[in-house]
Amino acid sequence: MKSTQYSEKTLDHFRNPRNVGTIEGEDVAVGRVGNPVCGDLMEMYVRIKDERIEDIKFQTFGCGSAVATSSMITELVIGKTLDEALEVTRGDVADALDGLPPVKMHCSNLAADALHDAIKNWRSGTQLEPLGEEEIASAGVGCGARNVTVVEGVDEYEGKGLYKKVEDVSELADKRVLVLDKGIPSAKLALSLTEVTPRVIFLTELDALGLPDEVSTEVKRSDVKMLFQSRLLAVRGEGEVEKVLILDLDDDDEYELFVDAVVLLER
Amino acid sequence: MRPAAYRNGEVRLDGEVYLDYQSAKPVDPRVVEAMMPYFTERFGNPAALHTVGDRATQALEESRAAVAGFIRAQPEEIVFTSGATESNNLALIGHAHRNKRVGDHVVISEVEHISLHNVGKYLEKEDFRVTKVPPDQYGRINPQKLRSRITDETILVSVGWASNEIGTVQPIQEIAEMLNGTGVALHVDAVAAEGLLPIDVAEVPVNLLTLSSNDVYGPQGLGALYIRKGTRLAAVTMGGGQERGLRSGTENLPAIVGMAKAAEIAAEEQAAEAARLAALRDRLVSEVLSTIPDCHLNGHPEERLPNNAHFRFAGIEGESLLLSMKDEGVWVSTGSACSSKTLEPSHTLISCGLLHEEAHGSLEFTFGRFSKEDDIDRVMEVLPAAVARLRHMSPLYKEA
Repeated sequence: MKSTQYSEKTLDHFRNPRNVGTIEGEDVAVGRVGNPVCGDLMEMYVRIKDERIEDIKFQTFGCGSAVATSSMITELVIGKTLDEALEVTRGDVADALDGLPPVKMHCSNLAADALHDAIKNWRSGTQLEPLGEEEIASAGVGCGARNVTVVEGVDEYEGKGLYKKVEDVSELADKRVLVLDKGIPSAKLALSLTEVTPRVIFLTELDALGLPDEVSTEVKRSDVKMLFQSRLLAVRGEGEVEKVLILDLDDDDEYELFVDAVVLLER
Repeated sequence: MRPAAYRNGEVRLDGEVYLDYQSAKPVDPRVVEAMMPYFTERFGNPAALHTVGDRATQALEESRAAVAGFIRAQPEEIVFTSGATESNNLALIGHAHRNKRVGDHVVISEVEHISLHNVGKYLEKEDFRVTKVPPDQYGRINPQKLRSRITDETILVSVGWASNEIGTVQPIQEIAEMLNGTGVALHVDAVAAEGLLPIDVAEVPVNLLTLSSNDVYGPQGLGALYIRKGTRLAAVTMGGGQERGLRSGTENLPAIVGMAKAAEIAAEEQAAEAARLAALRDRLVSEVLSTIPDCHLNGHPEERLPNNAHFRFAGIEGESLLLSMKDEGVWVSTGSACSSKTLEPSHTLISCGLLHEEAHGSLEFTFGRFSKEDDIDRVMEVLPAAVARLRHMSPLYKEA
């Protein structure tokens, strides 16, 4: 079966998803699973009254079946008790949609997982902050101060695409530049690099910008691509910087990213 | 879905918009007409020694001359194959086997089609060493960086003329001149560029060049490999010794006649067609970028195929967008993992430096011979709404 060959019911839930949105309140449990790197991220918002699901909404970034399974599970569990909802499996969701292509079974797993995560968070009293509602950390202190790790290849590539200081941004014109969070100077450098190249990536171990409001707002409005909760592990390339190895701290996953330059400002 | 209709010599899909010409092209009605007699009254096996066989040989050799003329090669430098994949296999494996004693190292650009990378993996199993050259952020290979990968053991370099996916055109002339006379052979997969850019092997000194029939509106299941005089290959397919022993098997005569006709039409119409398609593409690019927020053009802004527009949209996933467009009768392509068998995102987009989630949010439009202005009108009617709808339900996109 082709990956996009879906049942009519799946297509209906994709086209007209039920219960899209978010809910807020003291009686709302939030669950989140997935990883945008893998192409899917789901959030479930569940309003709970007397151990029963009174209302449920979702947000999904993902393929057609990710949307459809999210929608389907909200219909399956509304009105159910939390214990009953915990018994809803990925197979139940797939069956309710008249089946899914085998390669997409992973996606239907996520919808059930997100719901179960919400219930688990509710029972353990864990508060999950919605994505993007960033807490501004102590002004001017980036992650560099928080966590000092040894990056493999720093000495080897210095002068070959790895910069510890940048005197003239035009040196980096038209290059893919990865700037490590070293506080305000590094953020300002990232901003000035957007004048000379369309690709500037700012990597921080924090889950939000640990910068004063005015710098943070400027970065958000700019073309700087943010990589939160990420750690630079290694710089790679044949004779010059060509790739970096990044650790996604959120789900402990490593991946390579193609870049031409890495800026690791010295304090 | 209603059937495709030939009307006034055009192939249009009633009420539906096909903008995925990179994946398949309809066969031009003029090509179908040229092929038809070769299924019936002009059938024949060129290997047979009687009149029917002679007639088939004549058609085969005239077709070979036409395909050679299309790229300004000599007829004896053309070998017909079953398509671009087979041509790439013959070029890489055939050259590697033949030159094993000279060296064991092959260099391939990162932005090649996956089928070519898989030939590279096969060579690695056969104890050849394969090095990849990464492109810049626009998908272009820097000739100097390519040169730095070449060692005394290097026997072959493979770089596509252009990317079928992001549309970036490579500095092939410069790469070919750099390698010419060094003893390192250059193979160029020209499938994405043929019919859209002039391909002239008398000007650009390549050793091996892959062509596909369908990419110039000929039938599927046929391709050709240009082999410069003096470049020697070992056969990969064994049998009756057809095609100078390099590609055994009775020739697919109707398809060969079709490819020849398609190549003649392409040679004649290429300049005007490229200009017409570039105007359509430029209109789509400018309207999409000015209408939809947080959207980028992938690939090179100028050095790109005239028929290719490749975008990425922040916060949404490409397969969802493709499905939404399909519901509105607009057929396009995506680099998203979720549309592939392996669930891996496009390696081409990753090698341009995109993060996985950015590669997932990409959508590719490719125009062709029967594309019109009203196709773009339709895209602009449905695309902004589809993007907005998916962003509305995405946890990764916060609406301004």
